[in-house]
Amino acid sequence: MDKKYQVPLIIRGKVITDADLDFGGRRGGVAFTSPDVGKYLNELTLSAPSKMADLYSVSLDEILDLLAELGNRLNFDTNPYLQDAFELSCFTSGLSESILRYQYENMGFFFDRDEMAMMVERSCGFDYLEGWVEQPGGMPGLTARTRAFGSRAVHVIAGNAPIVSILTVIRNAYTRSDGIIKTPSNDPLTAAALARTLIDMAPDHPVTRHLSVAYWKGGDDQIESQIYDPRRIEKIIAWGGFDSIKHITKYLQPGIDLITQDPKLSGTIIGKEAFADEATTRHVAKRLALDIGAANQEGCVSARVIYVQSGTDDEGLERANRLGELTFEALQHIPEHISTPHKSFDMGLKAEIDGIRLMDEEYRIFGGRTNEGAVIVSQEDTPVDFSRMLACRVGNIVPIDDLQTAVRSVNAYTQTIGIFPEHLKEELRDQLAFQGAQRLVSLGGAATMQHNMEKQDAIEPVRRMVKWVTDEVGDPATLASLAG
Amino acid sequence: MSDFFQRLLDDPTSFHNAVYSDGFKLTREQIDQLQLQGVRKRFSEMRPLIPMLDKLAKEQGVDSIDTLEDVVPILFPHTVYKSYPLSYLEKSRFEKLTRWLNGLTTVDLSGVDASGVQLIDEWLDLLDRETPLLVSHTSGTTGKLSFIPRTKEQWRQTVVHSGCMLRHWWGENSGPDMFTEHRPLIIPGYRRGGSATQRANDYMIELFAGSEDNALFMYPNARFSADVVSLAGRLRAAEARGEQGMLEISPALLKRRDELMELEKTRGQDLQNFFDTARTKFGGKDVYIAGVWTLLYDWAEAGLAEGHSDIFGAGSVLFSGGGKKGKALPDDYRETIKGFLGFETAYEMYAISEQMGYSIMCEEGHYHIPPVIVPFLLDPATGEPLPRRDGTTGRMALLDLMPQTYWAGLITGDEVTWGGFDQPCGCGRTGTYVHDGIRRYSEKEGGDDRIVCAGAPEAHDQALAFLTELSQ
Repeated sequence: MDKKYQVPLIIRGKVITDADLDFGGRRGGVAFTSPDVGKYLNELTLSAPSKMADLYSVSLDEILDLLAELGNRLNFDTNPYLQDAFELSCFTSGLSESILRYQYENMGFFFDRDEMAMMVERSCGFDYLEGWVEQPGGMPGLTARTRAFGSRAVHVIAGNAPIVSILTVIRNAYTRSDGIIKTPSNDPLTAAALARTLIDMAPDHPVTRHLSVAYWKGGDDQIESQIYDPRRIEKIIAWGGFDSIKHITKYLQPGIDLITQDPKLSGTIIGKEAFADEATTRHVAKRLALDIGAANQEGCVSARVIYVQSGTDDEGLERANRLGELTFEALQHIPEHISTPHKSFDMGLKAEIDGIRLMDEEYRIFGGRTNEGAVIVSQEDTPVDFSRMLACRVGNIVPIDDLQTAVRSVNAYTQTIGIFPEHLKEELRDQLAFQGAQRLVSLGGAATMQHNMEKQDAIEPVRRMVKWVTDEVGDPATLASLAG
Repeated sequence: MSDFFQRLLDDPTSFHNAVYSDGFKLTREQIDQLQLQGVRKRFSEMRPLIPMLDKLAKEQGVDSIDTLEDVVPILFPHTVYKSYPLSYLEKSRFEKLTRWLNGLTTVDLSGVDASGVQLIDEWLDLLDRETPLLVSHTSGTTGKLSFIPRTKEQWRQTVVHSGCMLRHWWGENSGPDMFTEHRPLIIPGYRRGGSATQRANDYMIELFAGSEDNALFMYPNARFSADVVSLAGRLRAAEARGEQGMLEISPALLKRRDELMELEKTRGQDLQNFFDTARTKFGGKDVYIAGVWTLLYDWAEAGLAEGHSDIFGAGSVLFSGGGKKGKALPDDYRETIKGFLGFETAYEMYAISEQMGYSIMCEEGHYHIPPVIVPFLLDPATGEPLPRRDGTTGRMALLDLMPQTYWAGLITGDEVTWGGFDQPCGCGRTGTYVHDGIRRYSEKEGGDDRIVCAGAPEAHDQALAFLTELSQ
């Protein structure tokens, strides 16, 4: 891996490709160069909020047309920027080449005009983004209108899948925001590829003129102390955990709104119906394998700990073990554009699996020899102690007697829960919501169905990215009478 | 020399009280011969008595050792000594924990009745009382401690071994003979407790210091409690499991949380006493100091801030190691510490807590692996052994032939580069060495700004944050 990639700095339609600084990548040891963002700080942020006005010279329909056209140009076979981003991602991402290729080849899907229009409607509402909307009710003699305006924002994005860059570009455009995307070292090129395609297509469009993409090392105080300033930006949308947020928090002050998209883990609850007969168990195993294996378990939506109402007596454990065996088998048969053996299996996790392999009274392990993935079946109603490390297609089936054990194990760090059978979802959904769950899906759909991307698993970042402004109209006579 | 070699062939543990420097005069052929013979001996002795080793050997289909590489499949992952489920502790099922440990040692623990035990400290005390073992634990900040079943007899040998190393490292009788000329023992840590450093204390006082009042500890009264060091991690693990996790956590452990606050109150006074006594009682004398770099640095920093330096006699010796443990020490931390302490002689080791032996750094900056520890480098991805050639980098695995009651063959999480196969080290010592700059694979993976959406952030319990410090 001697090739050194060039990560450009993109500022409002301008592409800067100087190789001022070297950065080391991860995993495959990939290295890249980038311009020194420190030299361009004044250009990078929008000096005056009034410069947002040009975004309002175009209609929302035009913006969606532009995005749809961008989608058409994200043709993997002909778009060199995407090819570069894909090539680099093959080294930095935890996803295998076959999965990444599928994702880069199908990027256009997310720019479907009709779906984007519905996304707009579901997040803020088309009318609110396009104009002032009359509000019902209120005090006598007072009427009000509300509108959603774009903001000046920095997006500190995650790099585990290209979808993060795609969503950020779409959201920034339709909220008419001025976005600076700070890319991570594990995907420094995808957002830049989208921006460059947009620049080639519509260099002077206001949407192009309000999209910047930069890489700097997260935590670089010289850069961040300049950018994270309420005179320059209004919002920070930050993905990632404690480490990526903690250095941002020191710049927070009134005037900066931090929207965190915390890392989350997802799980599964399977009711006793899964064991009605062998065919049902096989069916459930296939769907469970999909929730564990899709996108190589790299996502926050991926299943890790699986509570199964098999019972915990000997027969119950046998049922759980059978499900484990079938799930591991099914995991090996998922199409390769969805899941493959992990190319960089976590050594720490491997050591944990090897450590408990000799504990056959406590755990039954299917697979986990090399990088093929594994299903670990606990022989008591508690998950493995390293449950937070589960990754690289390793799931942990936990047999339980009472579904409440599963419900009580859900907390504020839980995101998606795949559930079987369907009626169990309805029975448990309110309780799961109390505990902290955000997204409940049919088993198998955790990573393969994505109904409402704009809601970001119920974090609703788009509603928070915009500035909600109200225009209140008082009846003159009422106001005069108040003055006495 | 031939007697020495023959003794090693007959029993590798005999190295513990040998002239240490003789271990680095053996030829490569002798080293290979004694290692192969030693491995065969340990495997055949231990396999029938250690169920986990037997299980692993069966699973891997290893029945005999013909070459050193045949051992690789039956090296334990370093997680084995903590492979018990935490639920044993949370549900106070110490009889199961005893059974688990019984699976890892040749010592028969079947007669130990641990029912009714509530805390790890109680369990360790029980084993101390009723068995030949002096089980030590690690200080894992994750909350899960490894337990290593070494006997009292072998703990004594471990300390004797360190005395012999200090005496003979730069050649026979090149260092102090503390067995006959006792000297003050200074330890910036706990007097009592179950972690490896405290398990050696009794023996160091007896063998090196001669008496209790010739030894000084930073915390002379407090116990380095296994329950306390694991508390923060266990609470975090429980919280991560939601209400269910908190329901299952041991009430006895929660009570411990309050006792911690008491410990914290006397900590400042303990530190001050330690500083003052070190200076007034032992200042200017030739002493023996043992402690990890991070603790020594904290001490030096605090002492220098109060205007103290050159505390001890120039003939003092320091035994240290342990790396930076993720702390941001300045590049010149060794010099800062030596300047504060007032002497130059330092023995720097690379070791893992499961083993009795260790590797000491030479003048060339290389850690020399003694002949009774069999080193392996493994491919980090496949686990396959890498060639025994100088300059090879890989994942370190070590089999210490000295322990006789547990299988001390472990795959570490450390990335190292080794040498001493094609060319001996410039210092003249024979055998395998590893280069300085050892790092954990886990460190290599982290540290830059790779951001993903999957993970579980943890609430940071400020009240317990100091535990991380304590458990260094």
